[in-house]
Amino acid sequence: MKNRYLFILIAGLLTFFTACKNETAYKTLIITGQNNHNWKASSPILKQILDETGLFSCEIMTTPEKGGDMNKFNPDFSRYKLVVIDYNGDSWSDKTKAEFVDYVKNGGGLVIYHAADNSFPDWKEYNEMTGLGGWGDRNEKNGPYVYYKHNVLVTDTTPGPGGSHGKRREFLVRTRMPDHPVMKGLPANWLHGTDELYSQLRGPAKNLQILATAFADSTAGGGTMRDEPVLMTIAYGKGRIFHTTMGHADEGGGPSMQCAGFITTLQRGAEWAVTGNVTQAVPWDFPSAAGVVLRPDFKEITLDEAFAKIGNYDISKSTKYLSCIQSHIRGLAGDEAGLLKMEKNMVKVLTDKSATADSKKLILRELSWMGSDYCIPAIKELVQNAELKDEADYALSRLQTK
Amino acid sequence: MVIKSSRRQFVKRSAAAVAGAFVLPQIIPSSVFGMGGRIAPSDRIVIGSIGTGSQGMSNMRDFLKLKDAVQFVAVCDVDAKHLAIAKETVDLANKNSDCRTYGDYRDFLEKEKLDAVSLALPDHWHGIIYTEAANRKLNIYGEKPICRTIHDGQTIVNAVKKNNIIWQTGSWQRSEPNFHRGAELAINGRVGKISYIEAGLPDGGRGIGTPPVKEIPPELNWEMWLGPALKVPYRGVCHWDWRWILDYSGGQLTDWAGHHIDIANWGAGLEHTGPVEISGKGVYPFDGIFNVPVEYDIRCKYENGIEMRVANASRLPLGMGTTWHGDLGWIHVDRGGIISASDPKILQEVIGENEIHLYKSDNHWQNFVDCVRSGKQAIAPVDVAYRAISVALLGEIAMTTGQTIKWDPDREEIIGNPVASRLLSRPYRQPWNLPTI
Repeated sequence: MKNRYLFILIAGLLTFFTACKNETAYKTLIITGQNNHNWKASSPILKQILDETGLFSCEIMTTPEKGGDMNKFNPDFSRYKLVVIDYNGDSWSDKTKAEFVDYVKNGGGLVIYHAADNSFPDWKEYNEMTGLGGWGDRNEKNGPYVYYKHNVLVTDTTPGPGGSHGKRREFLVRTRMPDHPVMKGLPANWLHGTDELYSQLRGPAKNLQILATAFADSTAGGGTMRDEPVLMTIAYGKGRIFHTTMGHADEGGGPSMQCAGFITTLQRGAEWAVTGNVTQAVPWDFPSAAGVVLRPDFKEITLDEAFAKIGNYDISKSTKYLSCIQSHIRGLAGDEAGLLKMEKNMVKVLTDKSATADSKKLILRELSWMGSDYCIPAIKELVQNAELKDEADYALSRLQTK
Repeated sequence: MVIKSSRRQFVKRSAAAVAGAFVLPQIIPSSVFGMGGRIAPSDRIVIGSIGTGSQGMSNMRDFLKLKDAVQFVAVCDVDAKHLAIAKETVDLANKNSDCRTYGDYRDFLEKEKLDAVSLALPDHWHGIIYTEAANRKLNIYGEKPICRTIHDGQTIVNAVKKNNIIWQTGSWQRSEPNFHRGAELAINGRVGKISYIEAGLPDGGRGIGTPPVKEIPPELNWEMWLGPALKVPYRGVCHWDWRWILDYSGGQLTDWAGHHIDIANWGAGLEHTGPVEISGKGVYPFDGIFNVPVEYDIRCKYENGIEMRVANASRLPLGMGTTWHGDLGWIHVDRGGIISASDPKILQEVIGENEIHLYKSDNHWQNFVDCVRSGKQAIAPVDVAYRAISVALLGEIAMTTGQTIKWDPDREEIIGNPVASRLLSRPYRQPWNLPTI
């Protein structure tokens, strides 16, 4: 009987805590339903990316189809902490527009995603929220072009159309505000997965901060030869807006949305839009100038996964699981208990008969400096193995140096 | 037993004659040695090269420009194609076909009777070959960074000192007027008391993944190229690109430490010491055989309170180059003759007679040759090179361990961190070992 009550109590507590988790997550509304882009692919991915953090609880709301009755689109914005726009289509009703403006003005968070900055060319307040936009017959009347040229921020009022992009390609994103909460701890440069590089955006550009740019190289498939803004923030009333021009969606997201840089900056930008701060750690797989990092399932490789796969993975084709382990070792910053736990997992790879020689070689190199007495017997075993002798000697020699 | 040639005896005599000048102000006019005029062939410095890839050839061409002063006689490389080009270059300059070639540096060192040797090899080979050449009392023009590990560096410095040879590091920026001028202004207090220095080194570039194993080209002795490094299959990555692999290099950070950190030390009087505390963060590639950090941000504190930040250029306000900051302003120097300051008036300052006058050279290779002849210390001595690279190597250890490293610059030891201390040296693959001095 007692046990049964205990069980009910625990079950009740679990339900309570689970409910609490959902309660504390920032309620987020993703608006889509019309777009010259594949919104049916992109919106669920945006939801997955944001929900994955545990910080957001997303709902996707679709507008009526193109030409439909927009009076039927009446979200209650006051229920949300964050609105994400994945929409480029018909004008909303005046009532909905007014409520949306009130929502942002009063401190609601907003994320402008890719073609959302193409939308509503004639809606003044919306353009103030996006800061910069493109297409939709935008021109000098909508505001200046804003970009970096030779590392100088330029506000350019030259007449001309707003919005262009060269051929889709990988491009290098350059941090412009390294101390901004969204950018803090990110590399100065990183390669983004194949995407459109939005260029020649123009708009009111009021209260606009450019967090990152990318060089639109005309020799790499068409471009302005300017450093074009790709990540921005805009202040509107009390509202904080995060604007990413990246993430052109293919079926399944494609490299632009699978890019760990796109995913991470979206997650961080969204949190900042809600709170003005970022509590998320920079993930170990954030890309660098060395190459694009794709997450086919939109998730970071975990340490457990790395240890589970490193042994039977053909390391000569990829070093990503080792990179994961190395990154976590650096993160431990000398914490002895943490390093010992890591070492035990590494020794398991050494003693696993099915693990490849290549994976053992790489593990031996790491153990050579961070191992303790614990790993020595396992390494001594490997000295007998002709294929691993050099690496085992290397590790033992270093571990036993006084 | 190496039998010394008459040319070497000349060099030795000259060295002895000026040994007393070593500690005095180090300006000795080359005219003392009659260098303004034509040098008799028998008095030329006899020199050879080990390592004739891109940097080795670049140095060779710079030495060949001094054709009156040097006589190139032999070249050595593990790549027969490099070797053939090197021989052709030397023979063309000498108008003969006498340049001798070697595939193994041990034969080269054993058979050649030289005054000096120009060494430009991947960093993992520096410890052995620099030490061995010093032990054979060859004067050395050695490429930076002088070592892959702190321990290799200490061994090389000791070998050079003990054998009392002339050493020039390939830190050629010292022989460029803007770097000299910037350092001289800084060390004479023209920015006030120096409190903070920035050294901006290049950003890392794109990786290549892990290429498939390839057949070793017939001209390449891959086993010898690897030498003391762990054996890995050949994947077509060897010349030049070795610098993106941690087994052989620390990437742009260690490649450029011998330039902008060296200059930073020169202008701040830190040439003969090291930091006491080092922390750093690197950005490492996600995947692929290129595994050096593509970004790095290292902060060092010195005993006298100076702080130094070493980072990839994109992270720094002034980008590439060295910037000394003091309470009166800053001075920045970079390649391309760049020198700028917080106030342009700083750059007009005259250095008084009784102030510090830094060693002046206007040709790095000529300076080495002059010093080999005079016995005078060259502009980029070995211990100074060791201090420059040790900043980067300690930064590498801080990044690898994720820890703040405490360093005793006098005892040259990491304090209170036996795990991090293991990274001060690296085991050599047998049968290779550092030579004893």
